[in-house]
Amino acid sequence: MTSIPKKHPPHTLSLTVNGETHSFILGKGPNEVSPSHTLAQTLREKLGLTGTKISCDRGACGSCTVLLNGKAVFSCMLLTVECEGKEITTIEGLSDPKTGNLDPLQQSFIDHTAFQCGFCTPGIIMSTKALLNTNPSPTVDEVKEALSGNFCRCISHYHVLDAVMDVVKKEGNQ
Amino acid sequence: MKSFVHFNTRSVDEAIHLLKKYEGKAKINAGGTDLLGVLKDRILPEYPEAIINIKTIPGLSMIEDGEEKILIGALTTLADIINSSLIEKTFPLLKEAALSVASPQIRNVATIGGNLCQDTRCWYYRYPDGIGGRINCFRKGGKTCPAVSGENQYHAVIGAKKCYAVCPSDLAVALTALGANLTIAGQKGVRTIPVEEFYHPLGNTLSPDEMITAIHIPKPFPVARQTFHKFTLRKPIDFAVVSVSSLIFLDQEICTSSRIVLGAVASAPFRAYKAEEFLKEKKLSAKTAEEAARLALDGSKPLAKNAYKVEIAKTLVKRAVQGTE
Repeated sequence: MTSIPKKHPPHTLSLTVNGETHSFILGKGPNEVSPSHTLAQTLREKLGLTGTKISCDRGACGSCTVLLNGKAVFSCMLLTVECEGKEITTIEGLSDPKTGNLDPLQQSFIDHTAFQCGFCTPGIIMSTKALLNTNPSPTVDEVKEALSGNFCRCISHYHVLDAVMDVVKKEGNQ
Repeated sequence: MKSFVHFNTRSVDEAIHLLKKYEGKAKINAGGTDLLGVLKDRILPEYPEAIINIKTIPGLSMIEDGEEKILIGALTTLADIINSSLIEKTFPLLKEAALSVASPQIRNVATIGGNLCQDTRCWYYRYPDGIGGRINCFRKGGKTCPAVSGENQYHAVIGAKKCYAVCPSDLAVALTALGANLTIAGQKGVRTIPVEEFYHPLGNTLSPDEMITAIHIPKPFPVARQTFHKFTLRKPIDFAVVSVSSLIFLDQEICTSSRIVLGAVASAPFRAYKAEEFLKEKKLSAKTAEEAARLALDGSKPLAKNAYKVEIAKTLVKRAVQGTE
């Protein structure tokens, strides 16, 4: 039987977000991360990456979608302490860090006005990004399936499909 | 979320040791897509003191091919199951069931073990503590089930007595149809139990110091026709209103034997034994499908607002028997 440490061992936590590594102390202080913090909370409140939105906070709406090792996940349903050693990408990590140019996908959303209030847009873009990373030439149905976990109350979906398919046409093989 | 002590465990033994140490006041976290909602709404009578992360245990996320069965580790995500060509080839109904769960973001994280162990979605049971206090229903030690005389459109239609909540797991329905077994590790050692016997009217048979480590699925022999049908109103965010999974062994057009399992109609996946018995040695046709559907729901006792579930279940059984979409 493995011996049990008296106190839980990781007092510090390092997170790799958008290629940069950040260290946190685990605890309840103002600059510390509590074990009960969700990744969405940490991204917004500790790292100031407020592009990731919290809406339902129950893993239903998709606003908080980020990439975890390249896969789309709900950051509101993950504990920050369990994300150590993983590569996290948020909407802020999509633009080119040197030139500041937007990702072609972001530009396409602007060109097609694929949003109204915009609250759900970062999540939708991150879900699309995850799809295009594994499947650069998806069909419309595949895009719809990949975005089935992202909700938009302004009904921007039609413009979103136009924006995504336009990027696929330009960047992909279709 | 209210705070807790958090452990990243490295072995099944360590996780069980911690479960034992906390005497029921610790919860295991795998994907967390169910547990975090439970914690955020504080629906449990006792908030857990410790959360035990088992994602850090090596070797529990795998799909292994054997001669007579396939072994799936408890930490295998639903996305891994969907993307496995072995599963697609051998157990298409399991792939369909996994694909029917929630959204891509959830399936990337949620595990097969967690899907089997998730808590019920009954809205009285799930009523958040933060809005006027939690509802002390029968499942939480109260005296009555508020669904009986309340909003019961998604509740049980068959076999319920004191609690009318239904088992929300889609994979439990699929795995019951496939006759799968669970390996459960605990303080007293390892035990094996059919998925079919895993649930009881108020939850599952795991004791506080136990966890599922693997799922074994026998390869159907001879090859059988497999189906999984799920009815929901809004696909990605709804749990099953009714689901039906079936395994039908055919010799020409004659059914030699079958396993037909209904989901979201009772506190556990419900085996339609009467329909299975009736279909034996029958030629599958619209008429036999109709009779099988009637027998599958024989004895159902819907509440005031959920009789429609019986009709949906019958339709899904008919489709399963006839092999139509």
